[in-house]
Amino acid sequence: MGKLEQGFSEGAPVGPLVKEITQEAINLFEGSAGYSEPSQFTDEEAARETLGTSGTVASGRMSISFALELLRRHFGSEVFNHSGMVDLRFLRPVRPGDTITFSGEVTGTSREANGLKVNVKIEAQNQRGDTTGVGSGSAIVPQAYLPPEE
Amino acid sequence: MVEMDNRIPLDWDALEVGEVFEKFEYTLTQEMIDEYRRGVMDPEAAFPTISHKVDVRQFNAKYSDNGSVNARCAFHCYNSPTPGKKLTVTAWVADKYLRRGKNYIVTEAVSVDEDGRLIDRVITHELKQPWEVGKKWES
Repeated sequence: MGKLEQGFSEGAPVGPLVKEITQEAINLFEGSAGYSEPSQFTDEEAARETLGTSGTVASGRMSISFALELLRRHFGSEVFNHSGMVDLRFLRPVRPGDTITFSGEVTGTSREANGLKVNVKIEAQNQRGDTTGVGSGSAIVPQAYLPPEE
Repeated sequence: MVEMDNRIPLDWDALEVGEVFEKFEYTLTQEMIDEYRRGVMDPEAAFPTISHKVDVRQFNAKYSDNGSVNARCAFHCYNSPTPGKKLTVTAWVADKYLRRGKNYIVTEAVSVDEDGRLIDRVITHELKQPWEVGKKWES
């Protein structure tokens, strides 16, 4: 079995990908879209007012970005950036100072008109072992990337 | 001078699923992409559009509320955006639901560039009582 096939077979591991979350990274993420007003992501007082938390939290969309990277590294940019998707539920906050590990596992495949759809389950855990997010993702691997069918 | 807030206070019961917001246009600059990539610590990150929160941008421009917490988000990649190209976003209210006594609103948006290339689709479920989860997180 080739490396390509192994990576797409049921049970194949995806990742892991480890990210250390800092307030600076959160500020860059928010600032990249021009959000400059104090928010629950960038300002402790705003977080206290909106969420009632003692500190800031990272946007769930940062976790989406990390999940996209996890799957892009597995499938390759050529495939993932044209057919990939991720879908995450956010269970616990991600805060500055956290180390988040994203990992996945191939759960199955299905034939599509334009290739093989590979489904992946995704989990994100913090340094204490708490699950911060769970969900799934997929990509459609074009026929040309696959070994010929027997 | 204090700016007037002309937004409509959100009435969750009255909000109509299917409401389409005014199109939103912006140009994705190389600077935005670079800043995003530093933020997510990924020099090859191809979809900086996620940080622009375009599915809720027009919602938040129209309605005022007590804030929200992102409960779930799905992101579909079609073509990575090209720096310098104008993006047009169409966003709408895809759904709303009540779960365990809490109100959620689902917004969806599709981005297309000036050449007509489909860029991405984002679907977000926002909990509209953010202090409820904050309380849980702090306990």
